[in-house]
Amino acid sequence: MLPPTCDALAARLDNPQQNGLAVSALLSGQLLFAALVVGSVYVIIALGLNLVFGTMRLLDAAHGDVVMLGAYTSFWLFTLVGMPPLLSMLIAGGLCAGLGVAVYRGLFRRLLADTRLPRRLEGNSLLVFFGISIILQNFAALCFDTTPRAYLYLDGVIRVGNLAMTENRLAELATAAILCVIIFLFLRFHIYGLAIKALIQNRQAAAVVGVNIERIQLLSFAIGFGLAGIAGSLISMTEQITPFMGFPFTIAAFVTVILGGLGNLIRGMAAGMFLGFVEIYGVALTSSSLDSVLIYGVFIVVLYLQSQDFLGGRQKS
Amino acid sequence: MTTKALLAALVGFGLFSSGIANAADPVRIGFSAARTGLFAGAADGQIKTYELWKDAVNAGGGLDVKGVKRPVEFVFYDDQSDPGKAVQIYEKLITDDKVDLLLAPYGTPAHIAIAGVVERHKFPLVGNTAASVKLRELKPGNVWFTTGQMPDRLAQAITDLLQAKGFKTAALLVNQLPFPLESKSFLIPALQKAGIELKINEEYPPTIKDMTALLANVKAANPDAVIAFAFPADSAIYMNQARELDIKAPFQFLEVGPTEAAFAKQFGDALSGIVTMGHWSPDHEQWHGAKALFEAYEQKYHEPPSYLNTPLVFMSCQILAQAVAKVGLDRDAIRQTIASDTFDTVNGPVKFVGVENVATPAGLLQVQGHSMALIWPPSIATADFMPKPPWPTK
Repeated sequence: MLPPTCDALAARLDNPQQNGLAVSALLSGQLLFAALVVGSVYVIIALGLNLVFGTMRLLDAAHGDVVMLGAYTSFWLFTLVGMPPLLSMLIAGGLCAGLGVAVYRGLFRRLLADTRLPRRLEGNSLLVFFGISIILQNFAALCFDTTPRAYLYLDGVIRVGNLAMTENRLAELATAAILCVIIFLFLRFHIYGLAIKALIQNRQAAAVVGVNIERIQLLSFAIGFGLAGIAGSLISMTEQITPFMGFPFTIAAFVTVILGGLGNLIRGMAAGMFLGFVEIYGVALTSSSLDSVLIYGVFIVVLYLQSQDFLGGRQKS
Repeated sequence: MTTKALLAALVGFGLFSSGIANAADPVRIGFSAARTGLFAGAADGQIKTYELWKDAVNAGGGLDVKGVKRPVEFVFYDDQSDPGKAVQIYEKLITDDKVDLLLAPYGTPAHIAIAGVVERHKFPLVGNTAASVKLRELKPGNVWFTTGQMPDRLAQAITDLLQAKGFKTAALLVNQLPFPLESKSFLIPALQKAGIELKINEEYPPTIKDMTALLANVKAANPDAVIAFAFPADSAIYMNQARELDIKAPFQFLEVGPTEAAFAKQFGDALSGIVTMGHWSPDHEQWHGAKALFEAYEQKYHEPPSYLNTPLVFMSCQILAQAVAKVGLDRDAIRQTIASDTFDTVNGPVKFVGVENVATPAGLLQVQGHSMALIWPPSIATADFMPKPPWPTK
């Protein structure tokens, strides 16, 4: 007997009517919009994770929980004072960046300064961040209780020909795109952006040419956490918020970052968008029951094909 | 009405009589709670309902233990949404904490997991937030379930409504979790038997983040009914994207989610017309305390109760309280009473055959405007089904 996913695929292949529907949808722009929205969220969340890993080799398993804090910040500011999330995301980003600074100064600064520890750093950081994740989740559960929260914002539907876009999803996409451009320009042209890239490429060489390592590490933590907070604000416009919503985002971010190359920021952004397209168009061409199979299948295939480059890249840094 | 008056109204429908003696020793009632983990969001309503019931009982002077009122005290631990931990907690509650009574954990897996514990200790437990035909395989005697929404009965209720309203075609979307899959396994033959054509039959994983491709197919098939056996997260995705794609089916069903307060806040007018499962309404005049439960919950927590879990949880407490009022804390006597008596609850009479509540029918709720109406079956309905109005564009 075939497993259910194979049954679904076989049924789809045997059903030209459904294939026809999916193909027409492929050309409608609706799927393109959905892929861009899903991909843009992956990009923003993964970018923050990648910054922290790239500059310090720290595996932030609490990244999704920072997304959750950003979402709660926008929810409460909207609910209590009516502040729109497109504005409160700046506050959420600032608060989460502050948390990043506190975590860096309180937990990682000395650890990173100890030259005897680099080999153990990745593993240790994973454990520390798991601890932070549990603390953040339970802090949120205690403060806000575990009831799912949501609010209604920009819920109109904009129709352009056959393409229909909910305003909040469009705002999510536009904001994410603007953020990506800002981050891209920052990394390419700003002195601190260049310093971050230098630190990612070669820590010792960056120090030799005068990069203030500690300041750049602190900045990376602040930007990484801040981006997660902003992503949370954007997500809060379309999804329900609970203290335990973060874990799937952490997983998605890790998949994206590993696909793009740990520490490779631009490829990581491309990988996030690629995953969004795989998820949406893959389902359209096969079956929705294959959603996870497609994502993790692509993940494993890409890892296999790039394993030599992937390992080489890490050794260089 | 004040909170105190509402709480008094909640316990004032025959459970307690005046003039009974008071005793200081509390009745200690134990349970495990999914305070963290996968079910924490959904389980919050259960814990709140337990707390509301305790407040109501204590406001009325305490739990009537065969003529003596004693205050209620809870002993509970976080099971982290892990059925294995729930088993350990119930063992501890019974053997170490030596609680007088037990309340249920959250969700079908935890109920099934702890059934062996209560059976071994012969400790009666009235379950609430569990629904699966697998529950019928549990040994009857120490565990019972208040729900009327067993998947086979739910599937039949949906089919009966579609048939009664003359709907001929349907699209079925199914989350690959146990309860939706069970519901699907009973719905497909029921639809076939009723002559309702299934135009789309798709499953999706619980981790789904976007339904655009799926709903594009549904839109093209243009069915009379869209039946989504979905849980809250994917129900919310459906709401966003069905509206975006302008799915026009007059019957649109989401299995779990629309009864939660967050849905009304998130979707507002767009939620109107959505059908979901549930067999309770505060507006049912024959169900004593139903209105008081709604108002007391809203007053205590500043949001309406879930129409699905809150009554199920409250019923389980009421059944236990009525059994204790009649026979005291003797477990054998409680067991015999629950197994044989008919109980008066906020969801009408409850009668168990084996582990199952056979008095409460599977029901369907519909959001009509900004309120929830019980639309099926006709024997308990408080309103008629209305075709889903067009999705608001602004």
